[in-house]
Amino acid sequence: MADKTPVYEYHEKNGHVVEFAGFLMPTWYKGILPECAAVRNSVGMFDVSHMGRMWVSGKEAEKFLNYLTPNNVPSLKQFQGHYSLLCNEKGTIVDDIIITRYDQELFLVVFNASNRKKDIAWITDKAKKFNVKLENVSDKVAMFAVQGPKARATVQKISKEEVSKIERFGCGWLTIEGLKCSASGTGYTGEDGLEVYVYDAPIEDPWRAMKVWNAILDAGKEYNIEPCGLGSRDVLRLEAGMCLYGNDIDDTTTPLEARISWTIKLDKGDFIGREALAKQKAEGVKRARVGMKVLGRGIPRAGHEIVRNGKTIGKVTSGTLSPLLGYGIAAGYVPKEYPNEGEKVDIKIRDKNVEAQIVKVPFYDTSKYGWQRKA
Amino acid sequence: MKVGDYEYLDGLYYTKEHEWMKVEGDKCRIGMCDYAQKQLHEIVFVDLPKVGAKTTQMQSMGTVESVKAVADIFAPASGEILEVNTKLSNNPELLNSSPYGDGWVAIVKPSNLNQELKTLMDSKAYAEFLKTISEKK
Repeated sequence: MADKTPVYEYHEKNGHVVEFAGFLMPTWYKGILPECAAVRNSVGMFDVSHMGRMWVSGKEAEKFLNYLTPNNVPSLKQFQGHYSLLCNEKGTIVDDIIITRYDQELFLVVFNASNRKKDIAWITDKAKKFNVKLENVSDKVAMFAVQGPKARATVQKISKEEVSKIERFGCGWLTIEGLKCSASGTGYTGEDGLEVYVYDAPIEDPWRAMKVWNAILDAGKEYNIEPCGLGSRDVLRLEAGMCLYGNDIDDTTTPLEARISWTIKLDKGDFIGREALAKQKAEGVKRARVGMKVLGRGIPRAGHEIVRNGKTIGKVTSGTLSPLLGYGIAAGYVPKEYPNEGEKVDIKIRDKNVEAQIVKVPFYDTSKYGWQRKA
Repeated sequence: MKVGDYEYLDGLYYTKEHEWMKVEGDKCRIGMCDYAQKQLHEIVFVDLPKVGAKTTQMQSMGTVESVKAVADIFAPASGEILEVNTKLSNNPELLNSSPYGDGWVAIVKPSNLNQELKTLMDSKAYAEFLKTISEKK
């Protein structure tokens, strides 16, 4: 039996529901294309309550998380967060996560739905030697990603607190419809936005979650908000050049290979995987994740071979048509000799070699789209 | 005519993979059924066969793609491609908006029509087939 999120009722009534990571989730409501457009041009909202969430608190919370993850946890001030990883001793990736500091001794860790069990076991095991308290709230807290240039304006309409104070990757407490919520300046679309957390909203008692979900949809009406499903979520994150765990990163890839090395702070002191990562950094990576833009006709998909001069040099790990750009885009790993922008490769789309070019990510023009857009 | 949400037409032949075929004199027009386009939803890309290419019954003669999914178009009949609907290259959404009309895929000159028609469903059998599928869901 698949699990449900507290707003499942809405999905069932309005969306095209499939099972994903053990949850019944919407792939789309109106369609992937209008949902992508809503987020890029105005605002869209995703139910991401299937993701894993855990409070880490206590005297040694900072020290523990700094050992558990490669990014610099002590550098986070109150209401700041960052993208980070769980790495194993080999330096390969257990999961990609976001850590946010709510208080001196209180952190929220958010991780992938598909890794819930694995991560909870991993974190619990590593925490044994530390004076910390772990509280898995994945099934108690609802989480909605409100994304797009009108995301903050939408949430502001129904929030007592000033949402503009929430920094990119930061967080803050909010009251919406009289209910205790918080929000972080995060998302998985490349756009500015807020991920809103609704507390005390378990699946057995979903009214708080439903109330906030509906309040956001109502507030967003003037901006033509669209509820968005996993289909558009995957397209939007790939357009932004972000990794999907299980596709682009997993326990056979390191953050150096995946080119998310800004998450690794080798000089911060000991952490799990540090030795292996330091060694790989010194020796250099043998392969690297790149973005590829398809120049010919065709849509690249995960598993397609990347070919150069007739020789297979790698595989596509994620691929889609970009509705924004109107051509196929892909991520994949190529040997370190090739990851230069402008370099031409072929992607073997079924039986045809289709020309593609290695490009920097995000795939879109960041002055026009994404959180750094100029007005 | 409709079974549930899914439209079908009288006088056509159908495959289990939801292609339709209309016999037009000594030629056959081929397309994708309403059910198939509804399953894929927003079709954004079509890879059409080349004129002159040979088809083999129930072998792939092309592909259609939505943003997230790829589906083969299986040839309802063996033969030779006489014509393809080139409009689909720039307007793949015709497969969604008019699967039995402007969204037709190709015209073939069949090489073994009488034998192969026996392996296809007529509209009555296809309606039954759609019913079985809809009930399973």
